[in-house]
Amino acid sequence: MKKALFVIIMAILVMGLASCGSPKQKLYLFNWIYYIPDDVISDFTKETGIKVIVDTYSSNEEMYSKITAGGAGFDIVVPTGDHVSIMIDDGLLEPLDMTRLPGFKNLDPSAINRIKFDPGNKYSVPFMMASAGIAVNKKKVVNYEHSYNIFERQDLKGRMTMLDDMREVLGAALDYLGYSVNETDPAKLEEARLVVERWKPNLVKFDAESFAKGFASGEFWVVQCYAENVFLEYPESRWDEVDFFFPKEGTPMYIDNFCILKGAKNLDESYQFIDYMLRPDIAARVADYLMLPSPNIPARALMQVRPSYEFEALDNSTLKENLGRETLKLYNDIWRRIRVGS
Amino acid sequence: MRKHSSFSKAVFMGTIIFLSLPLLVLVIYSFNESKSGSWTGFSLRWYVKLFTASPQLWRAFANSAIVAISSAFVSTVIGTLGAIAFNWYRFPTRSYLRLLSFMPMVLPEIIIGVSLLVFFAGVGIQLSLFTVFVAHVSFNLPFVFLLVLARLEDFDFSIVEAARDLGATSRQALFRVILPISTPGIVSGFLTAITLSLEDFVITFFVTGPGATTLPLYVYSAIRFGVSPVINALSVVMILGTIVLTWSTRNFLKHIAAK
Repeated sequence: MKKALFVIIMAILVMGLASCGSPKQKLYLFNWIYYIPDDVISDFTKETGIKVIVDTYSSNEEMYSKITAGGAGFDIVVPTGDHVSIMIDDGLLEPLDMTRLPGFKNLDPSAINRIKFDPGNKYSVPFMMASAGIAVNKKKVVNYEHSYNIFERQDLKGRMTMLDDMREVLGAALDYLGYSVNETDPAKLEEARLVVERWKPNLVKFDAESFAKGFASGEFWVVQCYAENVFLEYPESRWDEVDFFFPKEGTPMYIDNFCILKGAKNLDESYQFIDYMLRPDIAARVADYLMLPSPNIPARALMQVRPSYEFEALDNSTLKENLGRETLKLYNDIWRRIRVGS
Repeated sequence: MRKHSSFSKAVFMGTIIFLSLPLLVLVIYSFNESKSGSWTGFSLRWYVKLFTASPQLWRAFANSAIVAISSAFVSTVIGTLGAIAFNWYRFPTRSYLRLLSFMPMVLPEIIIGVSLLVFFAGVGIQLSLFTVFVAHVSFNLPFVFLLVLARLEDFDFSIVEAARDLGATSRQALFRVILPISTPGIVSGFLTAITLSLEDFVITFFVTGPGATTLPLYVYSAIRFGVSPVINALSVVMILGTIVLTWSTRNFLKHIAAK
């Protein structure tokens, strides 16, 4: 009995060690969770023989702290625009050789032209772009405008949530006031703070994790959200009850990008993977999975699922930029005052 | 036998319900057809998805299992030998050493995590499953050490002296007398270490590297998009596994005690 146990333990130990040293081609991908469907990754391995080891994160800050704390060893990361420019400034990213990414031409020039975080795409390849909007349960709320003023309505008090995300909430308030979502003027930011303070008593909470469950169960009627979160959670048979829209005042938009980390050990494999993701059929599968419009033009014709909104709906959105250290501190202070109250 | 009062019975029942109700809800919802919180019908689709289409989840599970078993094994060996030596020899720094062994138990996990991360970065060790393993050994050690030590301090040391009197070498005394006597402590130390290692989030979060995501880390990054029912299904499988394991170790411990 004891001997058997010992043998089993040793076998597991040896197996664990052996799996570390296989000579196969590898690629370490550090990605948002649930961003690329598993079968897209396994098909890449089937086609190329490159084994992809995926680790996931749920916020840019989590990824950034991991990379800067000496968590090197990853090849590809997928930061959002503002973090791309932060990581370029920190010297964390490898300049890209565009001749090795022929699929780049598939990307919509109207999207590429809006990029200011990495002009000329020297370090990053856009993957998906989207924006937070507002989802309304049409069965519960009948009369409303497609505007942020819905958060002012006291009759919906206790039935609304906004994202637990500084840039999204302050960006919404800034858009509502007609300012830029990248505003740096302290006086205008103070105005935005007062707007959020006015909304706050009507909100149940600022929440980025479990609001979609509450929305699906009918507990919340109006939520600021990313479309995919709500539709993933809501029963498919009742999707027509959900009105997802971008407020007419505009929304803060984001682009997530593939970047290769400086010092990546598997450069060839990284280029192969990014170009694979730029292929129209693959981009279409990803967009189907997320139910989002694709920035990949040829992919749009190949999609089988109708996206939650059309790509053109993002025309009224403004890309969130890196605010710089000083302004970021200001945003953080304002956000803390809103959250803690003082 | 004295009859139990109805009050103590009520407290007992209340506690049992309080502890097992959440598990029951989880088991029920793992069979729910829809993804959201509302019940729409019985379905095994999440189990199908768990066993056929969740490679990342299983890799995280495998990482957790590898780290749990290997770190528990190593810390049990080191912890047991340490406890025996500690009990056997008298040396000047003994009381300080005992105090020191408490440190990892009382220090907040976040401090252990950060200090290990700083240490690994400073020494230049690349973060990987190996660093997770090292971290888990370091926080499992004191538990095994103290469990085995408690067992050793309980038993009559003259048995060892008797063995030596009857001609046993110190090695024979170790393997024939001390180790068999402390087996229950060693086994419970090993199981405690496995449990602690499987559930650890904070320390692992700091020292994990590429390809070394463990199950708690995976589940945490998944909750941003709502807890997937696949996780519920996995939890049910793990609850069943734990029940089988507990039952078999109980028999195993009984078997040892009967010897």
